[in-house]
Amino acid sequence: MTLRSVEATMPAAAGEETSMSSVASLRLGPTDALPLAIRGVSKRWRKDQPPVLDELDLALEPGTATWVGGRNGAGKTTMLRIAAGLIEPERGRAEVWGVTVRENRVRYHRLVSFLPAGDRGLYARLTVRRQLEFWARIAMVPGDQFRARIEEALDTFQLRELVERRVDRISMGQRQRLRIAMTFLPSPETVLLDEPLTSLDGQGATLLRHAIEEVLARDGTVLWCSPSGEHVDMPFDFRWELENGKLVRA
Amino acid sequence: MSEAILAGRAFWAVIRRDLHVYLSYRTRLVSQGLTMVFSLTLFYYVSRLVHVTGFGSHFAYFGFVVVGLALISVMYSCFSIPELVRQELIAGTFDRLVLSPFGAIRSVIAMTLFPMLYSFVIAGLTLAIGCVLYGLQLHWSTVPLSIPVMMLTLLAFLPFGLLFASLTVVVKQGNVGTSWLIALLSIIGGLYFPIALLPHWVQIASKLQPFTAATDVLRHLLVGSPVEGSTGAAILKLAGFAAVLLPASILILARAIHTGQRRGTIIEY
Repeated sequence: MTLRSVEATMPAAAGEETSMSSVASLRLGPTDALPLAIRGVSKRWRKDQPPVLDELDLALEPGTATWVGGRNGAGKTTMLRIAAGLIEPERGRAEVWGVTVRENRVRYHRLVSFLPAGDRGLYARLTVRRQLEFWARIAMVPGDQFRARIEEALDTFQLRELVERRVDRISMGQRQRLRIAMTFLPSPETVLLDEPLTSLDGQGATLLRHAIEEVLARDGTVLWCSPSGEHVDMPFDFRWELENGKLVRA
Repeated sequence: MSEAILAGRAFWAVIRRDLHVYLSYRTRLVSQGLTMVFSLTLFYYVSRLVHVTGFGSHFAYFGFVVVGLALISVMYSCFSIPELVRQELIAGTFDRLVLSPFGAIRSVIAMTLFPMLYSFVIAGLTLAIGCVLYGLQLHWSTVPLSIPVMMLTLLAFLPFGLLFASLTVVVKQGNVGTSWLIALLSIIGGLYFPIALLPHWVQIASKLQPFTAATDVLRHLLVGSPVEGSTGAAILKLAGFAAVLLPASILILARAIHTGQRRGTIIEY
C-alpha cells in the first residue's frame, strides 16, 4: 500500500506560499469535525519576544499524512505539544473530532498519540515487554485487546528478540523502535511524530512507514514534524513549513 | 469494559512497575535491612545507657522508640513522592503519563502506592527484628488493630507528600524541603522522645499535625504506652486530617499540573 497523495487537489501551485488558514477554512465548517484541527493557536514564551506560534491553523483530514518542517526553534515541537494536549496555547484551540482536551481529556488522549523528540520517556530498568505492558495499561487498552496489541507491537516493530532485555541494555535505535511501538500500540486515530527518524536505521524507518500506512488505512491521520532539510522518504499528502509562527506551503 | 476496571488495572500496573524497578536494584533491600538493624541496635544500647524519666524501664523506652522508627519509614514513603515525580520528569516519562488516558493526577496518586506498601513491610520488619533480636514485647492482643490505624495514618500523611509533589511539578524542586521537614516532624511528632520534654509552644505545634496522634495511638496498640486523651479522639483527629487534607492536596496537584501546562513547563525539570 502507498500513501495517498492529494497534492494535486491543493488550491495553490507548488512553491507558492499560501497561509494554511485559507486552506483550512475550505475544509472546516461549523459542524465539521476532523481527526485534528488546530484553530487560531498562538503561543508566546516571553512577553518581550514575538510569538512562536501566531494564530496558526492546521486541519488534518482522515487518511492523510502531513509533514511540517521548519528551522530549529521555529515552533514545531510547541505546535505538536499543543496538539497532543500536553501544553496549553495562549489563544486558540486544538480539537480532535471536535473535542478539546479541556472538554474531555480521557477521550482526547484515547484518540491521540504523541512521540516526543529525543530518546527519553522510557523506564531504563524495565524490560521491553514490561515497558509495553505498562504503557498499554496506562493507555487503558481494553482487557480483551491487551495481549494482542502487545504481541502486534512486538511483531510490527521487530522487538521480539529484545523482549526480555532491559531498556538500558539496548541500542539507541532499538529504544527508538520501542518508543515508536508505544506510540502506535493503543491504535490511535491521530498520531503526532516529532523527529521520529532519530537513531533509526533504514529498516526501522521502513517499519515506521508501514505503521503509518496502517493508521491511514483505517482513516486515521499522521502529523510528522522534523527540521527542514532532513531527508524523509515518505510520500506525505501535505507539506508545510513553519515560519514566523505561521504555516506556509513547503 | 468499564472505565473503573481499566483504571484499577492501571493503578496495579504502576505498583508492578515500581516493584520491578525496585527489584532490579538487588542490593537495596540488603542495604535497608542493615540500616534497620543498626538503628535498632543504636537505640537498644541508648535505652540501656540512659535512664529516661517517665519510662518505667529501659525496655519501655526501647519499645517507645521502635514504634517511632517504624513510623518514620511511613513518613519517608509519603515524602518520597516529590522525588519520584522529579525522577519521572528527568526520565521524560512524566509527559507520557500526562498524555495517557489514565492521566497525570491518577498516575501521581498511583505512584504513592508502592512506597506506602513498602513502608508497611519495613515497619513490620522493624518491629519483628526488635522482637527477635532485642526482646521487644508487643501487645499481641491489640497488634491487629494497628493495621487499620496504620492505613489511616498513611492517608493522613499522604497529603503532605502530594503537596510537595505539586511543588515539584511547578518549581521542580519540591523535594528539597522534605529532608528538613522529616527531621522537624520527627522531633515535634515525638518519634524519638516524648513531646512532654519539649518547650510548651512546641508541644502546641506538635498537636497541630497528625504525626503526634499517629505515634500516640500506634504506641498504645503495639507496646501498650499510655495515650494522651482518648484513643478514639486521636483516631478521629487522624481521620479528620485525612478527610480534609487528602481532597485538598489532590485539588492542589491538579491545579499544579494545569499551571505547568498553561506555562508550558510541565515537562521541564
